[in-house]
Amino acid sequence: MNLFRSEEHVGRWLEQQGYEAGATITTGKLGELAQAWWHDRLAPDWRPHTREQNQAILDRLGLTDSFWELP
Amino acid sequence: MTERDLEIRNHIYRRFVELGRAPSLAELEDELGDEVEPALRRLHDAHALVLEPDRTEIRMANPFSAVPTPHRVEAGGRSWYGNCAWDALGIPAALHVDGHVSSTCPDCGDPIEIDIRDGCPVPDEDVFHVAVPAAHWWDDIVFT
Repeated sequence: MNLFRSEEHVGRWLEQQGYEAGATITTGKLGELAQAWWHDRLAPDWRPHTREQNQAILDRLGLTDSFWELP
Repeated sequence: MTERDLEIRNHIYRRFVELGRAPSLAELEDELGDEVEPALRRLHDAHALVLEPDRTEIRMANPFSAVPTPHRVEAGGRSWYGNCAWDALGIPAALHVDGHVSSTCPDCGDPIEIDIRDGCPVPDEDVFHVAVPAAHWWDDIVFT
């Protein structure tokens, strides 16, 4: 899970590594995802997120295709 | 995972924030006693943290990494490593503070420097790539 200068850089790196393409989002979307996913991690009353809670975060951010479907 | 396990987990996170690194098993046993090691294993099995392969020392207290990574985070005058770029942006989110993320483009090696202001990355001009589908993130969380 890395930051790249652009989608062109992602494509070149995937080809060099021999990896299949995964999913690419903007840094802005990653910021929204990081806030939603991690904001409660240091709360004294923290409990593990359920699968449904985590999937709802992804869905709310429009990450709805099968790549983002949690087990 | 018991309520006491969660108390131990919260203690670990507090110490990780304070120290800028993971507390060692020896430090945790000094602070909390012999109950720590079995609690760590239960927390690992519940994906509440990640242990090293020998299942004693902490590798990840997500989003914090116990080992250096290409994703460095500074916030509030302290610094940590994120396990990945997502986790790096997650550290200021977890701390509820502004911060700065320093990473590197794996393709060209250029530095990527991002400020986090009120939860928003500035500038918003780079991209984030996830190689492993969500269904398989925990198959090998270190690789993911």
